[in-house]
Amino acid sequence: MKTYHKLQLSYKQQKLVWAVIFLLPWFAGFLLLFMAPLFESFRYSFYHLTPRAGEITKEFIAFENYRYALNEHVLLNTSYRVELISTTTDVVINLPVLLIFSLFIAVLLNMKFKGRALVRAIFFIPVILNSAAVASALGGGEAFAALMEEQGIGQLFNLEFYLLQTGMAEFLITFIVGLIDRIYSILALAGVPILLFLASIQSVPKHLYEAAKIEGATNYEAFWLITLPNVTPHIITVTVYALVDTFLTSSISNIISTELNRQNWGLSSAMAWIYVGTIVVILALLAMIAKGFKIGESHYEN
Amino acid sequence: MKTDLMKRFSSYYQSIKENLSDPRKNHRRIRKLQATTGSILRFMLLFGLCFVILFPTIQQVLMALRAPEDVNNPAVIWIPEQWSLLNIKIAALVLDYQKALFNTFKVSFIVMFLQLASTSLAGYAFSRLRFKGSNILFLLVILTIIIPPQALSLAQYLYFRDLRLIGKEASVYLMSGLGMGIRSGIFIYIFRQFFRGLPKELEESAIVDGANVFRTFWNIMLPNARGAMVVVGLFAFVWQWNDAYYVKIFEISTAEFPLLTMRLINAAERTYQALFYTGALNLIGQNIWENPLFLALISNVAALLMMLPLLIMYVFVQKQFVESIERTGIVG
Repeated sequence: MKTYHKLQLSYKQQKLVWAVIFLLPWFAGFLLLFMAPLFESFRYSFYHLTPRAGEITKEFIAFENYRYALNEHVLLNTSYRVELISTTTDVVINLPVLLIFSLFIAVLLNMKFKGRALVRAIFFIPVILNSAAVASALGGGEAFAALMEEQGIGQLFNLEFYLLQTGMAEFLITFIVGLIDRIYSILALAGVPILLFLASIQSVPKHLYEAAKIEGATNYEAFWLITLPNVTPHIITVTVYALVDTFLTSSISNIISTELNRQNWGLSSAMAWIYVGTIVVILALLAMIAKGFKIGESHYEN
Repeated sequence: MKTDLMKRFSSYYQSIKENLSDPRKNHRRIRKLQATTGSILRFMLLFGLCFVILFPTIQQVLMALRAPEDVNNPAVIWIPEQWSLLNIKIAALVLDYQKALFNTFKVSFIVMFLQLASTSLAGYAFSRLRFKGSNILFLLVILTIIIPPQALSLAQYLYFRDLRLIGKEASVYLMSGLGMGIRSGIFIYIFRQFFRGLPKELEESAIVDGANVFRTFWNIMLPNARGAMVVVGLFAFVWQWNDAYYVKIFEISTAEFPLLTMRLINAAERTYQALFYTGALNLIGQNIWENPLFLALISNVAALLMMLPLLIMYVFVQKQFVESIERTGIVG
């Protein structure tokens, strides 16, 4: 008995040693490739950096970069502040849509029907093809889009015109048309959230559904009373992912990259920090809401 | 005779009426109706969405197979009048396809392995080898997910310049080997969630059999984590394949070591110059390459050529990928 105890203790110590070994690559990378650059970039954001023949001269300008980014920055036909505000409002509006859409699609894909494997495979194609390089190559074909319009291939039929004929309210039409225009980009963004939701639905114990069915619950009731409560703990994960992803693919991110390429390093660092600050604020708000509504707590544990 | 017919009619009518008013049969009918309408609606919705997804790709493929002279032939809408591989040939020349494809494949493959190694180890440590403070360390992983790569790139660039790694593929390998590659944080997260979902008994029985921690991980936990491995491997590969950001910052793509993404961006931004320098102009007449639509078409075909290998590979991996989602419960 005593030896067993001793063995277990040593196993615990062994575990600690191995934990250190397992985490070592990540931690080294974290310190060298993440923490150090992070502090550097934080410092840069208070400097004006100019490249000089293999060297970089620094000039301390305190909050000037931040002030400039928020008040004076202009790039072509847009500016950092405009993009920041529009992206933030977009995120706040689109996030719930994205969450509901991806949950809905995940539930659909989880049902049993003929050709399910094929449909699932097709649904993850946008995730595979979601690439900045491809987007830029395809976006370059503005002339192309015009041609398609001319030939009438761009749109199979004019939805807006059709809806106007039915006498629907105009704001509804713009909403629907806007949604349909963006359906591909929504699908591309929703790929990973669908995946995560699908996986979490799969992990709901099957016997819950069987019991519910015996009690005479409809599919609709089973969704609200079994699927949804079981999926809520993962809504947080999906939200964080979707939030970060939308910001990463947004135009703010492009502006930061552009300024970086123009060698406005101090400015781009300051912009990146404002961006991080915005995400953190949104996350904190979401965390508060989640805590208020008790979303994200596993309802088995309590 | 007439009354007989009437009688038969009324008996029919009666039986139908009875049938319709039978609550059990009605209930069954309603259920069946609901199920059918449900599956019809589902079919329409999924079919529509699949169409939206596949439509641009099909359109591009058909576009690519047109003869260059037919770019703005109004008579050709879907099916090319003259089938031709010339567009593809030209785009392949512009991309330096053979070399770039091989290099991209190599880099993506190595990065995938390094990402799998570093993130699975970290994910395992965060889920199964917990110690005091491991939760705080895990918060740092979340931090790496949130911070945009742009915030770090200048300092990273300077750091890599000191290490003399700029312009070399080794820079990406170092990043992914140390768990700081493209979205490594999310991979660590996925692995952690997955390993946490594996039953404790697996580990305990391994201890009883005298396996040490590493053997438990290598021989027992990892084979059981195939689902997460497939998902992470796929994403690591694809995201590296599509990555234009790090490749640009670290200047990896050079004339001797071309990568698809940079060649594609180059071709899209300066199609004419790309055609000129690769000698592709000699393949076609002046009246064609002066057409801006033709240049746009070439950059589209080049994009298609970059995605095509991924699509083909996906067709093969797809079954395992979809099944692995089935089995995992990644977010367990």
